[in-house]
Amino acid sequence: MRSMTITSSVSTDLVHLASSRGASYADARTVEREHEAVSVKDGAVESVTRTSDQGFGFRVVHKGAWGFAASDRTDEASLRALVDEAFRRAEASASVQRRGVKLAPIAPQRGEYRTSLERDPFSVPLAERIDHLRAVDAKSLGPNVKTRRSSVAAYRTRKRLVTSEGTDVSQEIVETGAGLSVLAVKAGRKPASRYDSRLVRQAGWEYVEHLDLVARAARYRDDAEATLDAPLATERPTTLVFAPEFLALLVHESCGHPTEADRLLEHEVAFAGTTFMWPESRGKLRYGSAHVSMTADATLPGGMGTFGWDDDGVPGMRTKLVDKGIFVGYLTSRETAGALGLPVAIGSARAEGWQHFPIVRMVNVSLDPGTVAYADLLRGVDSGLLLEAPASYSLDDKRQNFHFSTQSARVIRDGALEGYVRGVAFQSLTPDFWGRCDRVADDWELHGFLSCAKGEPLQLMRVGHGAAHARFRDVPIEVRE
Amino acid sequence: MTLLGADALLGPIREALRGVQADEADAHMHRRRAAISRYSHSSIHQNAVSDETHVRVRAIVGKAVGVVTTNSLAIADLRRALADAAALARASRADLAWPGVAEPAPIPSSAAFHEETARTDALAQARAIGAICAAVPKGMRAAGTSQIEVTEDAVATSRGVAAYAPATMAYLRALVQSESHGGSGYAEDLSMRADGLFPERVAARAAEKCALDRDRRQLPAGDYEAVFEELAVAEILRIVSITGLGAQSVQEGRSFMAGRIGEQVTGDAFTLLDDALDARTLGIPFDVEGTPKQKVLLVEKGVARGPVYDRTSAKAMGARSTGHAADPSRYTPGGHAGNLTMAGGPATREELIGAVGRGVLITRFHYTNTPDPRAATMTGTTRDGTFLIEDGKITAALANVRYTMSALDLFAGIELLGPQRLARDWWSSNGMGSVVCLAPPMKVRRATITGSSPL
Repeated sequence: MRSMTITSSVSTDLVHLASSRGASYADARTVEREHEAVSVKDGAVESVTRTSDQGFGFRVVHKGAWGFAASDRTDEASLRALVDEAFRRAEASASVQRRGVKLAPIAPQRGEYRTSLERDPFSVPLAERIDHLRAVDAKSLGPNVKTRRSSVAAYRTRKRLVTSEGTDVSQEIVETGAGLSVLAVKAGRKPASRYDSRLVRQAGWEYVEHLDLVARAARYRDDAEATLDAPLATERPTTLVFAPEFLALLVHESCGHPTEADRLLEHEVAFAGTTFMWPESRGKLRYGSAHVSMTADATLPGGMGTFGWDDDGVPGMRTKLVDKGIFVGYLTSRETAGALGLPVAIGSARAEGWQHFPIVRMVNVSLDPGTVAYADLLRGVDSGLLLEAPASYSLDDKRQNFHFSTQSARVIRDGALEGYVRGVAFQSLTPDFWGRCDRVADDWELHGFLSCAKGEPLQLMRVGHGAAHARFRDVPIEVRE
Repeated sequence: MTLLGADALLGPIREALRGVQADEADAHMHRRRAAISRYSHSSIHQNAVSDETHVRVRAIVGKAVGVVTTNSLAIADLRRALADAAALARASRADLAWPGVAEPAPIPSSAAFHEETARTDALAQARAIGAICAAVPKGMRAAGTSQIEVTEDAVATSRGVAAYAPATMAYLRALVQSESHGGSGYAEDLSMRADGLFPERVAARAAEKCALDRDRRQLPAGDYEAVFEELAVAEILRIVSITGLGAQSVQEGRSFMAGRIGEQVTGDAFTLLDDALDARTLGIPFDVEGTPKQKVLLVEKGVARGPVYDRTSAKAMGARSTGHAADPSRYTPGGHAGNLTMAGGPATREELIGAVGRGVLITRFHYTNTPDPRAATMTGTTRDGTFLIEDGKITAALANVRYTMSALDLFAGIELLGPQRLARDWWSSNGMGSVVCLAPPMKVRRATITGSSPL
């Protein structure tokens, strides 16, 4: 990676310059990102890639309005031109504005944050990574398996935020992940896929070793082969048990997104949508059963939504979103907290890269663990299905009406897992669905997403979600060939 | 803004390629300046401009491929990127399916760039938003986006390809909501040129829908006649594209075309092609490998004619690349059909609605997905203008509905088509994937509604 030319003093000079020109707030953010990925398809190396990207984003509040400009040209003339551009955009915003930007207060922050890791994933020799993936690939072979893919990836982000209010924080975040997919095809049958692209953690290579991809590949192969020949499920209301991997996505889509405060302000109304969780229903709306509690926590070790400070310079913190089934909290930035009259922002302003304006994003939003063992939870099911991983998913603009299908569905009979069925999907309304949850197990685990999409232009954000197995009663399922 | 130009993009990389220690190499340069003003409650709340240039180089040693991406055009950085790519290739394994980098071939001229649009400044964008807000009737509020994008793409290969094309995009979106009755309406203009955007007309179309969207009813699940407006059609076409129009999806048996090329797969009123050479689709005339883009007939009168190819999928399937390689960091490899043209017809909006006995009018969708890619099945909810049509007239507003159906079954029921309009589906509208469609509105015999959102 080429070295960055912007020093902390340059950033400080630029925010002071902005203040002297009348900005009520300014911040300078430098970001350097590195990414390495290796993928193997059908036993052969499919790609080996290394990506690096660095640049500078400058944000001002001027005349009560935001202006933001970003560039990867970082010579002094370009940086000063960037400040000018940020002011021009703020002035343009101010010409069509009914309410000024008001930021929730935060004391100046100083410090550094680094991911704790055992083995730097960038230091693992390429040959070791390829050999590992070839061993994984060999385990994916099956009589009807047509396409096998596996990959490992490493990410490093270094960033520094300097604000006109005295904040100066630096962070180095390292993430390591893997991907796995198996596609089984057989004449006269619907193709069956089993895959996972959410095996990622803020950690080092030790996370890849922890995943045991070889054993996982064999399981995915067996799932895909069995689903290929499985009978169609029967369409009826039934008991569904969700694996943590599946629930992580349900939490993300049906709780994480609707608690993003920018949706309340209609900042996302034309694209990502709004919410059904409005301020007047806070503390009253029954979101789910008493077994359902959800927490946002940017301090979870290893979480993809973990950091020292968000891109407003607010320290990572922990906040309850749903408490025993009642909606209680939002994800906020300084701007949205200020607009909503909330005393503090909870640190959810995040930008994908230097070229992006920070917007309200999830951190690690998790379903809190229950107290029963998974085996006991399963024993309470006379007849039902275990849904292990999501396939297709679709939600409305209020995050209220959703549809999910599954990659793999196992039959539960008299508390024990039997064979597979196929074609299972379900659509539901969010409070109705979570209201059917009658037990959450204690086998909580953390999952990571690399690419939560939101904003205009598109920003792909890393977020984390923890969940345990959980049981839902009388969920109507639909079955399609 | 000022273009970097062909020399600035191609000069350094061609010099770096001359010294590369590899059997062959290529590079794709992409510069993007995106200026976006977002507004809600008739007030701009976000105003951002970013200017970035990325260079993706591939070096090939003994058929092993190394790929490095950087965002510097400095010759020293490009040389380092190529050397790193070659080192990755040496440490990697041979890819026996590697097709080689592209050879020079004549590339059609590009007409996707409009200089005045590239010069659009923040105040001009704010004026367009201001015009929308002023045009919205009392009792309604507006939200949306003004977006001006300038891109420059260049490709060079060690075999002598040197291609360059600039492009512009102007995009204006408006969601109008009622202050009193909770209704909403949406409209947008998309063009290569900023002077192809008409704020007052966008506001009027959205406001008209918003005014109609009151006293919503819930529609029971079932099959209905339907009118799909252009944005709704674009959403269906996106699903068709990502699930079935790339050669690799055919090769792997995931596409609706797999094993069915030359067969009737849908109704004979449906014809679809990919044509990046038609400047109306905002396309440029070569792909990221430097292969000239071809006009590809995908489905002709309901008969599957074949997919689009990149070099790797073409080699694997014994075909020639059609110039549809796409940035692998954003798209599944194996060919991406992103400049679609669906054949339209002469029907007016009134004729489309007038042909419905009892059915539904769909303006656009939200967050669609595909539970059955092989059948190009799409599910998604409607938004910002869903109406009940009875006896040829709009008679009621509907709560958003969930639609779930195979695109092939839907297109099999086409009865009337209107004139095409340039549109991007919901996903593509913010840049997540890029499918641009010349899409017509259509009246279909049957659309399957599988549920309703609450009132």
